[in-house]
Amino acid sequence: MNSSVESIVPFNQFIDSAQGDHPHGNRGDWLSEIKEKGRIEFYKLGWPSPKFESWRYTNLNKLAKTQFFLPQDIELAELPYQDILPVDAPKIALVNGKFNRELSDLSTISEGILVNNFQEMSDEQRALFSLENPTTLPKEGLPVKALNDAILSDVLFIEIRPGWQSDVPLHIVSIGCGDHVGFSSKIFVSAGENCRLDIVESHAGEHGSTYFSSCVSNIDIKAGARLGHYKLQNDTNTSTHLALTQTSIEADAVYDNFVMSVGGILSRNEVRSFIAASGVDCCVNGAYLGTSNQHIDNTTFIEHAAEGSKSREVYKGVLADHAKGVFQGKIFVHPEAQKTDGYQMNRALLLSDKAEIDSKPELEIYADDVRCSHGATVGELEEEHLFYLKARGINAESARRLLVEAYIGEVIDEIQSQSIREALSKLASDLLKKKLFERSNER
Amino acid sequence: MSILSIENLHANVGETEILRGINLKIEPGEVHAVMGPNGSGKSTLSYVLAGRDGYSVTGGSVEFKDKDLLELEADERANEGVFLAFQYPVEVPGVTGMTFLREAYNSRLRYEGKDEADAMEFLKLVRSKAKDLNMSDDMLKRPVNVGFSGGEKKRNEILQMAVLEPKLAILDETDSGLDIDALRLVADGVNALRTSERSMLIITHYQRLLDYIEPDHVHVLAHGQIQRSGGKELALELEANGYAEFDDKV
Ligand SMILES: Nc1ncnc2c1ncn2[C@@H]1O[C@H](COP(=O)(O)OP(=O)(O)O)[C@@H](O)[C@H]1O
Ligand SMILES: [Mg+2]
Repeated sequence: MNSSVESIVPFNQFIDSAQGDHPHGNRGDWLSEIKEKGRIEFYKLGWPSPKFESWRYTNLNKLAKTQFFLPQDIELAELPYQDILPVDAPKIALVNGKFNRELSDLSTISEGILVNNFQEMSDEQRALFSLENPTTLPKEGLPVKALNDAILSDVLFIEIRPGWQSDVPLHIVSIGCGDHVGFSSKIFVSAGENCRLDIVESHAGEHGSTYFSSCVSNIDIKAGARLGHYKLQNDTNTSTHLALTQTSIEADAVYDNFVMSVGGILSRNEVRSFIAASGVDCCVNGAYLGTSNQHIDNTTFIEHAAEGSKSREVYKGVLADHAKGVFQGKIFVHPEAQKTDGYQMNRALLLSDKAEIDSKPELEIYADDVRCSHGATVGELEEEHLFYLKARGINAESARRLLVEAYIGEVIDEIQSQSIREALSKLASDLLKKKLFERSNER
Repeated sequence: MSILSIENLHANVGETEILRGINLKIEPGEVHAVMGPNGSGKSTLSYVLAGRDGYSVTGGSVEFKDKDLLELEADERANEGVFLAFQYPVEVPGVTGMTFLREAYNSRLRYEGKDEADAMEFLKLVRSKAKDLNMSDDMLKRPVNVGFSGGEKKRNEILQMAVLEPKLAILDETDSGLDIDALRLVADGVNALRTSERSMLIITHYQRLLDYIEPDHVHVLAHGQIQRSGGKELALELEANGYAEFDDKV
């Protein structure tokens, strides 16, 4: 498509304006180049529309028609602690996509973990950063990645040294603030051989802010490493969140991923994992909670390219009011990926007859000796369960809350890291209370 | 004052009339047994008393202590002291036995305007009652009734009853599906709860349970009405003759 025609779209004016924002520092030219390439790629691919197979159920029309602005330098006094995951960990704060040293707390970060922003990255790191993730691309490409590049203002490079094992997680906190600001964050994680770490991402916003947040994470997990990757998307309820996580996993490594989506008017979390070798254990799980007219899209792609690896995927969601959920999950098994063990399940609980879920589980298997299964269920709270609780004195609202909490609790239990599991479970229970059961007090 | 006073109770399930004028009075401390053939409306009666949606009362009245029971929601009835041990206890995925019991117990305390129970004290209380019923800690950590055997589910009902200490316990075929050892355990559990205050309505198809829990009164329910009432000897008579006599009497 012609870029001058594209520029009539308000969002494209924002993309174009981002090109003029030349990054400071000695690597500014490098970043500008990435931005320019991203912009060209994004216009070439075109705005995602329901015509794209992987965007059938999520329409960005409204977003494209909204004018966003580049973030100004804003002073944020404090992180919104009640909206991020309560984990005891060193914090890397990103404000409107940019690394913010004042709000970060890296004093306790362990020596085996290096964190650099784009100006501090070594040539080696930049070379790693430029490598494309090996997953098979959808026909329509990855517009979210191109868009993320086009408006990039910083890069976070996290390197975990080979053999470095830590029980203390690393917490990346991305905060949006302002009125119609647009920004992207980009995180690259290089997990060295046999290392072990949990990385937590919290995405939230300053109260009353409306923003567009694009997040791309590239994760490279070397042989024998174990990486936990847990994300909370809790953006403000007028904001839009488009995210893409791409992971490549080497032999005998473990990747434990969990995405909890609760915020934003529209969000899409796309998780693409490439299993490059055997003995891999790849878990891609998530929970979502939608109320009012939220639209929450979880799209996953797990590619088995080698023999004898395992993947497991469980998503569970609760949708109330007019909320709409989308789940698209695909397991793709190469001919050489014999003895693959894959499991995928999406379950949704609808709490109103106006709530909706589009579920599209898919298997694409080219090997003959595999064990793969998938499924999807949609249900409502069961009268039988509610009555049993009420017959024990538990009132209708508490009964519903208990049952919904239990429903989500079952998928949170998939999280392998105990401390994160407990933190997320507590937060989920608070969020359920706030979003589903205490709303009348708010209004 | 009676604990329970049912007068001319009529109730429908959907469009069908199932209860066709039940009369029953239970005094404090009394144990009443309701026996009857399958499909006679025994479970319907227990659900109507517990307040289940979909069971609509079309006539008559039910007083519990001095309150109009039919005016109350199911949870309010429970908090007033009505307990139904289900014929088919429900599996509740994801809610652990301990959480379930704590929520139930605290609901009652809140209903009575009291503070919630101390978590440790409550845990101790539940554990000791569970032990009496030969239930392991593990069963309390698991989701309520999920994967339990028939006998374990019934014992779980009795545990809940023991913890919640109701004023009126309605036991709907608590004996069905139990082997003799489990039956003894359950009966011991029930007998331990008999006091001069607490009343029980024991619904059963067979006389067997009544060998262990001795009733003060026995009623025969058929075709939605109580056809006969008597002492515990009536149960023995039914055991000998079956329900044939009541099948013809429409
Ligand atoms: N949910 C229901 N929907 C329709 N009919 C019902 C329902 N529950 C019970 N019934 C009918 O009501 C009658 C009484 O059932 P029930 O009270 O379960 O009997 P019992 O417990 O004495 O075996 C039966 O004919 C049964 O088929
Ligand atoms: Mg019955």
